[in-house]
Amino acid sequence: MENIYLPDLAKIVTIRDETADTKTFELRFLDAERWGAFQHRPGQFVEVSVFGVGEAPFCLASRREGAETVEITVRRTGSVTDALHELSAGDQVGLRGPLGNGFSWEQARGRDVLFVGGGIGLPPLRPLIYEVLAHKDEFRRITVLYGARTPSDLVYQEELAGWQGRDDITCLLTVDAPDEQWRGNVGVVGTLFAKTEIVPEATIAFVCGPPVMIRFVTRDLLELGLAEDAIITTLERHMRCGVGKCNHCLIGDKYVCTDGPVFTYRQMKTMLEPG
Amino acid sequence: MSETRAYVIGRPDVPRWVERILERGQVIAPKAAWGSDVIYDVVQSPAEVAWDYSTTFSPLKRFLFPQTDTLLQWERQGGSGLQVSPTYDETERVFLAVRPCDVSGVLYLDRALGGDRPDIYYLKRRARSTLVALACTEPGDHCFCVCAHSGPFLESGYDLQLTPLPGRYLAEVGTAKGAALVEAAAELFSPAPEQAVEARRDLAREAEARFGDERAYFAAALRKLTFDRVPDDLWDEMADRCLSCGGCTFVCPTCSCFSTADAEEQCSEASQTGSRASGCRQRIWDSCSFEAYSLEASGHNPRAARKHRLKARFFHKLSHQFVRRWETHGCVGCGRCVTVCMGGDDMPAVTAKIRRGKEQCSKL
Repeated sequence: MENIYLPDLAKIVTIRDETADTKTFELRFLDAERWGAFQHRPGQFVEVSVFGVGEAPFCLASRREGAETVEITVRRTGSVTDALHELSAGDQVGLRGPLGNGFSWEQARGRDVLFVGGGIGLPPLRPLIYEVLAHKDEFRRITVLYGARTPSDLVYQEELAGWQGRDDITCLLTVDAPDEQWRGNVGVVGTLFAKTEIVPEATIAFVCGPPVMIRFVTRDLLELGLAEDAIITTLERHMRCGVGKCNHCLIGDKYVCTDGPVFTYRQMKTMLEPG
Repeated sequence: MSETRAYVIGRPDVPRWVERILERGQVIAPKAAWGSDVIYDVVQSPAEVAWDYSTTFSPLKRFLFPQTDTLLQWERQGGSGLQVSPTYDETERVFLAVRPCDVSGVLYLDRALGGDRPDIYYLKRRARSTLVALACTEPGDHCFCVCAHSGPFLESGYDLQLTPLPGRYLAEVGTAKGAALVEAAAELFSPAPEQAVEARRDLAREAEARFGDERAYFAAALRKLTFDRVPDDLWDEMADRCLSCGGCTFVCPTCSCFSTADAEEQCSEASQTGSRASGCRQRIWDSCSFEAYSLEASGHNPRAARKHRLKARFFHKLSHQFVRRWETHGCVGCGRCVTVCMGGDDMPAVTAKIRRGKEQCSKL
């Protein structure tokens, strides 16, 4: 019988600074054969262990498949993320996954794809953005709207610049608090909806960010006329075990870890959240 | 012998039978503890087994799902190298004279911790466990198993079920594991005469009748919880009485929420195997009544309010959604939450409040 709580060992291959408090870690299983069983899709997550400190869930943020590595983008916010930030390339961590359902992005074929990210909510969308870009002929317009608190809180800045320079993808950025160099939009990410053309009946939106941002973006998208099942988000909860056993992530009768973390707005609406 | 399902054993022979069971592995049984308390504990001799008791203070889940359980340990090797290995408990255990509600609690854990993604730590212990139920002929002060369909007698789910009869016990075999315990002392058992089987039927009927009208009616509460029709001010009222102490969840036979914690020191299991582990990961019971239960690293807490935690707990126990998922509701009517809850937010009280009014559980 498989041990659902037993992590595999992985080595940190590279560490990249994203912002003052956020780093991207590239991880590779020590046992090369383990990669073969790591059948994953965008939107899924992994539980990463720093032995002696604990384990925490992170969405897969891998840039592309085929690299035989897993990327996670980690903001320093708690004990496990603090410890991760202290590690160096070559250090070993535990890796458990892939976990969760992932995005069923195939339903977006033939449609406009709108990505809406807030702060540390862009990393879970990143694998999907690359997946869609890799099959761009199968989609209509591809748009990325991304907002952060300040310009220095934007992650993947090189990639964002790259997307802004391409003509097969529209990428608009916004910040709440600009600095002197910022020439872009100022305001919450929803203020970008007016600056891009959204065809509601042809659009499928993938939204990820802090709870308050998800709430307002969902409201805006519904007002624009998007269908309830065309708004797809990935939820974060305290997912201790990641496999539907510890019960921490329950919302009503749904386990965010195994029934999600990806849900459509239509599903979210029926999820009985106490209060 | 294997064709017979029911046997009798004379009361004077029971200690010899228990001696025989003790030879097979660890025996957990009700045992006198502090004051008038009876607890499930490891017994070393037949004399320690308390045959005449009502309910133990806590259920037996701690033997199958310990409050603190080492899941894995690691050893640091040169440089950044690590060796990680799981630690399993493979003790053979017989649970003797367990109340039917507690057997039902284990059957619930079988679903919650089994399923598509089984919990190997629980299932390994469970596979090495034999459950000998002791049917209840007299309900305890807080018992309401009749409402939860988990007692006072079991129709299935036990390995062996004992019923106290004058001068002897009836032993009903439920599984091969139960039969093995009878076979371990075959000379002490004889096939049950028809009158013993009839006596058991009468006792079960009389025991059920002793609960009288003192019941917790789940059906209406279940319906209201399922469709979120419990008035908000009722949750407020119940939340005002809840101390968030977690007591109800710790004594509940069906509660299995847990958290994990890493320790950078030698764990007990590691010292037993003689290895020099650098640390271990432990599973610890958690409680959905604790404020930090759903607290996220960002500081966001979707269940910061006590009433939301209370609501989530009863939704998990009684809603149709979970009844469908586990094929049973999450209460076995053991009454332990009635004993521990200082605020009166126990299962019969809450179900009665939710139903409001008529047919209230007269025990409230």
